[in-house]
Amino acid sequence: MIVYRCEDTLESVFTAIYRAYEEKRNHDDTLLCLTEDPILFAEDVPVAADEDRTRKVMGTLERRFGRDDCERLIMALASEDEEKAQAVYRTVVQGLRGKSRPGHLFDNLADRDIHKAFALARGVSTEVGHQRQFLRFQELADGMLFSRIGPKNDVIVFLMPHFADRLPIENFVLYDEIRNLFGIHPAGKPWYLLRGEEADRPEGLRYSDREWQYQELFRQFCHTITVEGRENRKLQKGMLPLRFREYMVEFS
Amino acid sequence: MEYLAGKREMALEDKLKILTDAAKYDVACTSSGVDRKGDGKSIGNCVAAGICHSFSGDGRCIALLKILLTNECVFDCKYCRNRCSNDVPRATFTPEEICTLTMEFYRRNYIEGLFLSSGVIGNPTATQELICRTVWLLRNRYRFNGYVHVKAIPGAAPEVIQQTGFLADRMSVNLELPTAEGLRTLAPNKHRKSILTPMRQIQTGIQVNRNDLTLYRSAPKFVGGGQSTQMIIGATPESDYQIINVAESLYRKFELKRVFYSAFVNVTGDKSLPALPGGPPLLREHRLYQADWLLRFYGFRAEELLDEKRPYFNVMLDPKEDWAVRHLERFPVEINRAPLEELLRVPGIGVKSAQRIVAARRSGSLTFPDLKKIGVVLKRALYFITCGGRMMYPVKIEEDYIVRNLTSEKDRVRFGSDGMSYKQLSLFDDAEFTRPVTVIERQQTAVGQL
Repeated sequence: MIVYRCEDTLESVFTAIYRAYEEKRNHDDTLLCLTEDPILFAEDVPVAADEDRTRKVMGTLERRFGRDDCERLIMALASEDEEKAQAVYRTVVQGLRGKSRPGHLFDNLADRDIHKAFALARGVSTEVGHQRQFLRFQELADGMLFSRIGPKNDVIVFLMPHFADRLPIENFVLYDEIRNLFGIHPAGKPWYLLRGEEADRPEGLRYSDREWQYQELFRQFCHTITVEGRENRKLQKGMLPLRFREYMVEFS
Repeated sequence: MEYLAGKREMALEDKLKILTDAAKYDVACTSSGVDRKGDGKSIGNCVAAGICHSFSGDGRCIALLKILLTNECVFDCKYCRNRCSNDVPRATFTPEEICTLTMEFYRRNYIEGLFLSSGVIGNPTATQELICRTVWLLRNRYRFNGYVHVKAIPGAAPEVIQQTGFLADRMSVNLELPTAEGLRTLAPNKHRKSILTPMRQIQTGIQVNRNDLTLYRSAPKFVGGGQSTQMIIGATPESDYQIINVAESLYRKFELKRVFYSAFVNVTGDKSLPALPGGPPLLREHRLYQADWLLRFYGFRAEELLDEKRPYFNVMLDPKEDWAVRHLERFPVEINRAPLEELLRVPGIGVKSAQRIVAARRSGSLTFPDLKKIGVVLKRALYFITCGGRMMYPVKIEEDYIVRNLTSEKDRVRFGSDGMSYKQLSLFDDAEFTRPVTVIERQQTAVGQL
C-alpha cells in the first residue's frame, strides 16, 4: 500500500492526487493521509505542494465534473475532518473511472466515500451560510470595518467573495481567530488572505464613536421586534446556534 | 403645541422603538427572490435564497430592517395596533433617518435590506409618495443596492405604485382577512376591491416587465422579487379549507411569490375580536404553512388536502401524512422505480431527498441505510415505501395502525415490538422463559397438576 503524506492544504492534496495518477498507482490500494500516524506495511511518500500540478488538477476537475462539483470538492477540503483528503481522492477516482458527466459527481450517495465527501462539503457550506448570516462588522476609529469570527472549518476563503461583492467601496477585514487568518479587502481593490503570526493578533482596537450607538440601536431593534405572545426560545436556539452569539453584537 | 414640539425632538432611539413595535405584526421578512451582484460602486447585493441575519426571541428571522414610516393612521381597523382610535405613542421617520439607519445596519451585516410599511397618513396616495421618495433617496443618493421590500397602500394612485415598483425588489399588499365579510366587519375602511386592485396592477406590471426584459436586457426591473401578501388567522371564523383555497387562487390567479399566515394576536382588546386564552393559534398557522409548501413545491391541490366535509387540518398529523393515510391505495411506493411526483407525495421525503433519490438510483439500487444518508426521515416514511420490494419493518398498511405509530413518539414501530418477528420458532425458546417460577407453579409440578 502507498500512503501519500499531505499537509492540510488544498495544494498539497491536489498535488498528491496528481502524483497518484502520474505514478500510475493502484487507486484501490493508495491512501491520502493528513496525519503522521504510522500504517503497517505501507510505503510512505511525502508530498510537497506544487502550484503547477494543483492548477492542472483543478483544471481537470472543473472540465470533467463542472464548476459546482469542483467547488464542492474544494469545500470538502476546507473541513476540519482528518479523513477529508481520502474521501475527496476516492470521489475523484470514482468520478473519473465512472465517467460521470458534469454536475453528476455526487449522484451516487449510496457510496461511502462519495457520501463522506458530500457530507463534508455540505457541512462547510452550511457553516459558510451561517457566517454570512451571523458575522458582524464593527467600525474602527478610521472607518474600517472589522469582524472577528471563530469558525469550525476554514471558511474565510469562501466568505471573502461574498462580502467583497457586497461592500466593494469599504475597507474591511475578516479575522479568523482560531486559525489566526486575515481576509483583507481594501476599498475598490481585490481582496487577499494573510496568515498572521502569534504577535499579529489584533488587540486594543479603537472603535469609532458612532459604533456603540448603532450597536445599541440594533440591540433595541431585535428586542422590540419580538412578539411577546409568541415567545419561543427553543426555536431561536435552533435557528441561531449558541456558538455564534459570542461574536454577535445583539447578544453581548 | 407642546405635544408637537416634543415630537420634533424625539430621539432616533425612541422613534425606532415605536415604529419597530408597530411593524412587528407584519410577518413577511424574507429577503429572497432576487439574485443581484454588486455593481462595484454602490453598497449591497442580493442573494436569491435570502439571508437571515438574526433570530428574535420568538424564533422568527430578522432579515430586514422592518419598520413603519409612520404609525399615524387615518384608518380604524379593529385588529390593528395603530388604528386611529387606539391611544399609542405616535412617531414618524424622516426619509433621511430611514436611509442612514438602513445603510449603517447594512454595512455592519445586521440586515439584508429594508422592509418599509406605513400607516396611512393623510391619504393613501400621499403615503405611497412618501414611501416612494424614501426608497428613491436610498437607491439614488445613498447608493443602496441591497434588498428593499415595500408595501403598496390600497387606494393609492396607480402611477405612484408603478414608480415605487421600479425601485423595490418586492412589494406586498396585505389581504389581511381571507374573506370579504371578515374584512367588512373588522376593517371598515378597507375593501376587498381596493386591496385586489394594486395586487392586479403589480402582477400586470411584472408580466409587462418580463416581456420588456426579453427585448431589452437593460430595461429597469419592476418588482423583481415578486409580490407577497399576508392573512390573519383566527381573528374571523374562516375555516382552513377556505384559507388554503384563497391562497391557492392567489398563487394561480395573481402569481404571488408567497402568502404569509399570521396567527392572530389580540393587541387592541376590541370587543368584536375573539379572546385567545391559549395564546395565538400557532399550531394552526404551522399547519397552514405546511399545506402552503405542499401547494407550491409538491404538486398538491387545495381540494386534495381538505374539503367541505373536513374543513380543518388534523392537529396530530401534518397535512402530508394526513393525505397519505387517507390514500393508502397509492402506497407503498417503490423507491427504486417510482417517478419523482410519486416520491414527493411520501411523508418524510422532501424535494431535495426526492431529487437525490432519483439521481442516486441511476448508479445502483438503494437500500434503507442509503435513504437515511440521503436525508429521508425514515420514521415517517417507513410505512409508505419499499426498497427492492421490501418494507423496512414488517408493518401493516392500515390507517389506524399507521396513525397510531405516527402520532405517539413512544410506541413507534421497532423490529419485533408488536409481536411480529422472523425468529425460528423453538420449543424451548419462549418469550416468558425468563420469568421466575411462581410458588403455585412449583406446587402444581409437585402434585402433577400441570
